[in-house]
Amino acid sequence: MREADHAEVGRWLARHGLTDAEPTPLLAARLAARWRANVVGSVLLALFMMGAALTHALRLPADVTSSWQPLLVPAALVVGLLTGQWLLGRWVRRADRRAGARLSRRVAHPAQLGWAAVVGRPYAVFTVVSFAGAALLAVSVLPVPDPGLRDGAIVVLIGLAGAGVGTVVQLRQVLASPAVAEDEASLTADVIMRVEDARALVTPSLVWMLPVIFLYGGSLGWWNAASLAFVVAGATAFCLLQVRSAAVVTAARRALATR
Amino acid sequence: MIVIDAASPTPPYEQLRAQLARQIQDRSLAVGTRLPTIRRLAADLGLAVNTVGRAYRELEEAGLIETRGRAGSFVSAAGDQALEQARRAAFDYAAVIARVGIDPTQAIRIVEAALGNASTP
Repeated sequence: MREADHAEVGRWLARHGLTDAEPTPLLAARLAARWRANVVGSVLLALFMMGAALTHALRLPADVTSSWQPLLVPAALVVGLLTGQWLLGRWVRRADRRAGARLSRRVAHPAQLGWAAVVGRPYAVFTVVSFAGAALLAVSVLPVPDPGLRDGAIVVLIGLAGAGVGTVVQLRQVLASPAVAEDEASLTADVIMRVEDARALVTPSLVWMLPVIFLYGGSLGWWNAASLAFVVAGATAFCLLQVRSAAVVTAARRALATR
Repeated sequence: MIVIDAASPTPPYEQLRAQLARQIQDRSLAVGTRLPTIRRLAADLGLAVNTVGRAYRELEEAGLIETRGRAGSFVSAAGDQALEQARRAAFDYAAVIARVGIDPTQAIRIVEAALGNASTP
């Protein structure tokens, strides 16, 4: 293992209260895959935002906005982002599987770790409410007599449906992916990574972003204020949730504690 | 925690069975605890599904776990029955030892050796 990787894994372990655990090549491989995926994921999100802004800036003239064509580029952007995120998740799981396949000694938890223990009910409720709020906003904008706005609302609904399905499918993969551990420390680290992955998945950043980007018509209206208020309320609730709910390490240790 | 060591001379299914049985007996796995599915545990431990299936089957036959259809496998409340079975077997063993006239210290050593063989992962 390289010196830089060793130090980086050591810092991750210390941050998660695993000071007595040794940085191992197994942890280094798993964490490296996650860090790379996070970087690429952030770049994808930035590209999506730039692409969405460009579609607004280069919007087609009003005489063709009634056709399906204005929907094509934003919908393709949403589908592209979701596909990219799904491929990144799959890549991380594959890196985990490869790391696990090299172990001669495998360790597992004897009890089933359910979704409530890994994701946490407050996070699950918050995510469902965020999706419902964004969908409600998009549906309530549909009757507004502005073709650009209506198209935006359709893109938001497509994006929400895709993001919802993607979140559920990826969450299932996170919960069902095999434990990759060779001792107690790496088993704890495995559950910490699982909790982190699950929380990152249910964080509704795209859900907040979609209404603000796409529910933006030719004229200012209540929907602009509502979209902004949705983001502010969501971000505030998310901050409170992070402060009030158990830290990742606590949640992981609680999930590991046999009932 | 369950540890499967591929280098151990004890077969993997026996390593798994013995460790789960011990955790159920000493109550580190409480009655009603849901065990991972056979497929899940096999993936976690890098074992074949049949290997884990065999360990679960033996635990079920011993009354330590029960399978409730699709809901999965749970630590059975019959753990006490298992202790009762062990107690009865001990009485039978004591009767055999008395009958054949083996020294009690030696009899205990035989049991320790047998337990050592049975529980070494």
